[in-house]
Formats: sequence, structure tokens, C-alpha cells
Amino acid sequence: MKITFWYGCNVLRHGDIIHACIDVLRLLGYDPSPAGGPDFCCGSTKDSNAVAADGMASRTVERLNKRGNDTVVAWCPSCHLQSAEFHEKGYEPKYGMQYFMELLYEKREQLRPLLRHEVPMRVFVHRHMGFHDMVPVNDMAPALLSMIPGIEVVEDNYRGPGYMCAHLATVPAAMTRLVRETEARMRRAKADALVTLYHQCQRELVGLEAQGVTQVFNYMQLIARSMGLPYEDEYKAWKKAGPEAARAIDEARLQKVGIQFFDRAVLPELIKKTPR
Amino acid sequence: MDETPKPAARPQLAHGVRDYLEKERQRILATCTTCGKCSEVCPMTPYNEKKGSATARDLAAGVLQLLRTGSTDEASLGWIRACIRSGCCVPACPENVNPKLMLRLAKMIATGGMGGEKFIPVKEDRDYFPRIRAFAQLQLSEQEIKEWME
Repeated sequence: MKITFWYGCNVLRHGDIIHACIDVLRLLGYDPSPAGGPDFCCGSTKDSNAVAADGMASRTVERLNKRGNDTVVAWCPSCHLQSAEFHEKGYEPKYGMQYFMELLYEKREQLRPLLRHEVPMRVFVHRHMGFHDMVPVNDMAPALLSMIPGIEVVEDNYRGPGYMCAHLATVPAAMTRLVRETEARMRRAKADALVTLYHQCQRELVGLEAQGVTQVFNYMQLIARSMGLPYEDEYKAWKKAGPEAARAIDEARLQKVGIQFFDRAVLPELIKKTPR
Repeated sequence: MDETPKPAARPQLAHGVRDYLEKERQRILATCTTCGKCSEVCPMTPYNEKKGSATARDLAAGVLQLLRTGSTDEASLGWIRACIRSGCCVPACPENVNPKLMLRLAKMIATGGMGGEKFIPVKEDRDYFPRIRAFAQLQLSEQEIKEWME
């Protein structure tokens, strides 16, 4: 079945997650046409400029229409929300939307035998209050993780405010409180790792691993590991390298970006610490 | 023939979205009773630095004031600013207003997003999209970039 896999924008920090999702979709029998990046922005980042948001959204709906598939599977919760809350109200999408984790959950019996490798780990799932009303991700993610041989999911009822850490990070006191609460609960539960559901949370929290607090994974990274997919989490490696991140990237790739741009626009994010 | 360049017309929101947002604004103004349940259950109210002595009802009324007139008090702006769409307000609302959308619409207005006065500053990041493209260049092949992103 042909589908459009709309991965979003900011997940491009995590090429391993995008590649793993595409592999999983193929192994589940889909023929995904990946689409994402700034030219496929949903417009949700531009609430302070509705004209720009409108332009982005209408262009993206048009481009997704042109892909010609009946189903668009979204990775990003913001894109998925924006589609439901704005695209379907103001434009003419010629496709139905499904959230990636929802698809995995629906196909979990097909997924189960693909999870062949042990991942011995007691994990604490990082969950937010929001988005769960649209897709019950806070229940689906632990269920999917529990299918991985060796994984033990900590039972915990903590839910952070918002629907992902990117927005929470704009309120530093709230972000710090979330991290402290999460760390305390992880200690009590003797968890080995923190598992995020979204790339935005992964970006904000992976610093905890670089800071030596705990291992941090996105749930797709653990699914990929159990399936034996070979993708390396380079974003984490660069966060761990901190000020030396450029040394961890081969010269040819760095040249494409430009060292000046890297130093000005990329490095500050890589050396930023997770507040705690 | 007059070849004097004409100023570009100011871009407008697509009718669908504009009509939808206006309809929602009107619906919220007509439905909300300012009972304040949305503010009471909001997990972000402790982070409203401007709250002062404002009650939950005051904050809800302040949001409506913004939707109605385009401006409001500092306490309500503080709540609007702190909202990060937790969504706890949606089931708490006895009138089915959808306060999450109400606050989002309020934030769009308060940040100048709808063309009016800006009351909440927005940090502009000129590298936002170039940074995303840079990460793509670091992690995707040229063929993937061409086929997936263009």
C-alpha cells in the first residue's frame, strides 16, 4: 500500500529515526513516499505570523495532495495536530491522516516477530498531558516498548505539562521542574533509561545522557535496535562531543553545511545543557 | 503605459482559515461564561509571572476581552503566554468551548499574528529553517534530500 510518510521538520536532527521509520513501514508492507523539511512545514511554528503560517500550510497541503496517496502518516505530533485543527478546516487535503505510532500500534502483531534482539533495560517513559486526547500515545508507547524482548517498562503516572518539551522549554522554570520530577521518579524506580515519544523531547532531554545523568532514547531507536537496524544516533554523539562536535563529523559533510554556519547556528544547540 | 512599479498587495490569509478562525472567535465569545474552570485546571498557571491576585474567572474574562477587543490585562497575557497546549482545559470546560483553541487564538492575536498590536514578544530565529536544512545535509544523502524535501 502506497502512503506518504510526512516526517516533519525538526526530526531532521535525527536521521536515524527517519530512516528507521521508513524501514519499519516497508517491513510492515507499506510503500512509503517520505516527505518533510521546511518546504513541507505544517505552519504551526508561525502562529505569530498567521499570513506566513497560512502560506506554509496551504503550500504543504498542496504538495501532500500532489503525492497522490490516500493516506498521510505523520511522525510529528505538531504536524498531526495542525492537520486536524487547521488544514482540514481551511484547506482541501485529499488524503486522510494517521499518526505513525497509531499505525505501529494497529500493526503490532505484524511488528512483534520483527523485534528479535534483546534490549535488556528498565525504562521510564517520558509522557506529556497533551496530544494523548487525540492519539492515546501514553498507552500505546509502553505497549509497543513492552513487546521488545528484555525491556521492562516502569509503571508511573507522571505526565508533564504541554504536549512536548519544545514548548515547555520556552518556560524554563516548568522545564526544570519536569526534569527534576522525572529524575526523582527514575531514581525511585531504578530505571536504566529515559524513553521519549517525540523528537522534540529527545532533543531537549538527550542532554541528560551527555551530562551523565541517564541514558536517553526515543522509542523508535529502541524498536530499531531490537529489529537489528543499523542506524547510529549521531545527534546524541554530537551532544556528547559538545564543543568538539565538529570533530565528530567528517570534513565532507561539514563542508556542505559550512563551518561558520555550523559554529553560529548548530553548535550552540549541541552544547546546550538540559536544565535540572 | 504606466510602468511605475506598484506596491505588492498585502498577503491575506486563505479564506478557509480566516473564515474558520473568525467563526471560532465568534463561537467562543458567544459560548464562554468565564467560569474559569479552564484556568483552574491549567498546569501552567503557576508559571504565570503576571498573575498577581487575578482569579481563574478574571483570567478567562481577560482572554475573552482580548478576543473581543484585541487587548487585555497583564495577568491574562501572562496566562496566554504560558499556555503550551496541555489540553487539560478541554474536558474541564462545562460549555464545550475548547479553551485550548481559545488560548491558541488568543496567543495568535497577542503576538501580533493576526496583524494587530503585539503584546507578547516573539523571539525571532533567522536560522530556524536553515538549521533544519543543515541537519538534513549532515544526515541525509543528496538523493534523499532531493526526493524527500523538494
